[in-house]
Amino acid sequence: MTAVEHAPAAANRGWFNSKIFAKLAIRLGAFAAFAGILIYFALTARGFTSSYNLINVVEQSTILGFLAFAMTVVFIGTGTDVQKGGIDLSIAANAGLCAAVYAVMMREGYGNFVAIPAAVGTGMVIGFFNGLAVVTLKIMPLLGTLAVMNIAAGLELTLTENTVVPVQSDLMNVLAFGRFLGVSTLAWCLIIGSALLIWAIHFSRIGLRLYAVGGHIEAARAAGIRTGAYIYGAYIFSGFMAGVASILIVSRLSSSTPGTGLMLLPILAAALLGTVFSRRFIPTIGGTLLAALFIGFLANGFQLLGISSYWVSGVQGALILLVVTVTSFAKKH
Amino acid sequence: MHHTSKFSRRTTVKAIALATTMLAVSFPAMAQDKPLEGKTVGVTVIGTDHHWDLMAYRGQVDRLKELGAEVIALDAGRNDQTQISQIQTLIAQKPDAIIEQLGNLDVLNPWLQRIRQADIPLFTVDTSTPHAINNTTSDNYSIGAQLALQMVNDMGAEGKVAVFNGFYSVPVCKIRYDQLKYVLESYPNIEVIEPELRDVIPNTVQQAYSDVTDILTQYGADSGLKSVWACWDVPMIGATQAIEAAGRTDVKTYGVDGSPEYVEMVATADSPAGAVVAQQPYEIGQRAADNVAAYLNGEDVTPFTFVPAVLITKDNAAETAKDFLPKKD
Repeated sequence: MTAVEHAPAAANRGWFNSKIFAKLAIRLGAFAAFAGILIYFALTARGFTSSYNLINVVEQSTILGFLAFAMTVVFIGTGTDVQKGGIDLSIAANAGLCAAVYAVMMREGYGNFVAIPAAVGTGMVIGFFNGLAVVTLKIMPLLGTLAVMNIAAGLELTLTENTVVPVQSDLMNVLAFGRFLGVSTLAWCLIIGSALLIWAIHFSRIGLRLYAVGGHIEAARAAGIRTGAYIYGAYIFSGFMAGVASILIVSRLSSSTPGTGLMLLPILAAALLGTVFSRRFIPTIGGTLLAALFIGFLANGFQLLGISSYWVSGVQGALILLVVTVTSFAKKH
Repeated sequence: MHHTSKFSRRTTVKAIALATTMLAVSFPAMAQDKPLEGKTVGVTVIGTDHHWDLMAYRGQVDRLKELGAEVIALDAGRNDQTQISQIQTLIAQKPDAIIEQLGNLDVLNPWLQRIRQADIPLFTVDTSTPHAINNTTSDNYSIGAQLALQMVNDMGAEGKVAVFNGFYSVPVCKIRYDQLKYVLESYPNIEVIEPELRDVIPNTVQQAYSDVTDILTQYGADSGLKSVWACWDVPMIGATQAIEAAGRTDVKTYGVDGSPEYVEMVATADSPAGAVVAQQPYEIGQRAADNVAAYLNGEDVTPFTFVPAVLITKDNAAETAKDFLPKKD
């Protein structure tokens, strides 16, 4: 996709300018829409701007944010074209499985020191299977990760028998209800996690190479990057994030519950929506962070305004459609 | 066609209005015209995808509005994380009271405690928790025992029963299941098939259909399998259909709630649906709202309010089922 961008550009300068202008307009439009909606909520929704409420929204966006970061990293390493590039459909089910592993191990009396590595390890193994399917077996990512999603969901059901598995530990309490400098633990997780990932993906050597692999795999290979390893790495990292997020899910819900798989749609929405906030409509950690917060603010603002929660998922779906249409239009023309 | 349906809807509305007026007269708390005028009440429910849940939810919202309250009505769409976020935002909105309906207690309890810590009076529907001022519900102890005893009688006190037990973390299901087990202690010739079945949400009916089909294959006509039980009746719709499809007449189903489709099955003579305890979810919702009004106007409210439920069996369906059958316009 990036390759197509450069060749005809020089041939027609006027067309090039209008293209740049269109992209700028879309990006500014996205920021303006985000800001506009926030300002509208601030003016009309009682209590929206209170620091308590704003921190709540950050806290509510942490789990979605972490999982959407994972999806973003997979997008970055495999190209954003959902039809041709990579995707990790298993991520939400994987988080559900990790949560089940963690909760069941805690119930069986293993402490956090065993249960947390076990949960995160499970996530990484599932991520490895995605890599195996996509890189080694060369299965279409949409199908490969869909199959792995079913495996993860099945294993979760086997472990929990589709019931709620309660977990009690001091660590859970600190994660769910603790506060530091007036900001809740979960919100801190999002702040620190985002900062680390922005550094790793946008400023470290590994991150830049990952972009190269996703942007133009042949060129990256020609430049001597071991592309297969990077794609494997992206999927395993996605599994790692599913494991980390699962600990946060269990702490927030005080248990592992069925239905974590339902998060797939909001995760995809955040990762796709995030692309409009970047200069070239590519997935970025910062963009995904904004998108996850935007989805959180939307649900929060609607509730404060007394608009039915039923509208939230509808608006989410409409946004995905709009973003995919606008960005693919902007990339083609 | 159109005219008739409009007419009947208007009649229904009138009937409801009349019923409401009568209720208002009979309730001392309602002496004031709009006792919740100027008050904001939050309603949080885990989901409204089943008849019971939707009716109870509507009962609360409708009644609260009638009483003059501003209602923040939140449906989590069967998503625990959504419900927790909604409750968290609701606490920040500082309503005058919150009503919580159903959901997983393990998930909810820490958050219900936070509602109380924020000094917001908490009321529940069908959820017994130490954090609520009042729980409005059916008498689930009696419901569980009545249904179990009816089943024991139908079975002649011997045979096998397949039990769905996927929602032990939901308090009302725990009570009904525990009551079943307590009754069965006295009837040692009845055996609960192990492992128990797991009812699920969503795809409740389809999953129950395939689970029961498997059980029927495993336990043939001479196995002594006589009953299938669940703490609610939506899975029993699938179970009943599976038994019918298998052509078995030796197995009956038992459930709770009074979903119109299932009541209709119980009322049908040759259907394998054995009995159902039908509740009045809309009234339960209304009573919860009345309790909020009473409490906010300084009256004493007791820890629980029971709304009567009716055991509908094959024998008494002619008299008992009519109020619970599907509404036909």
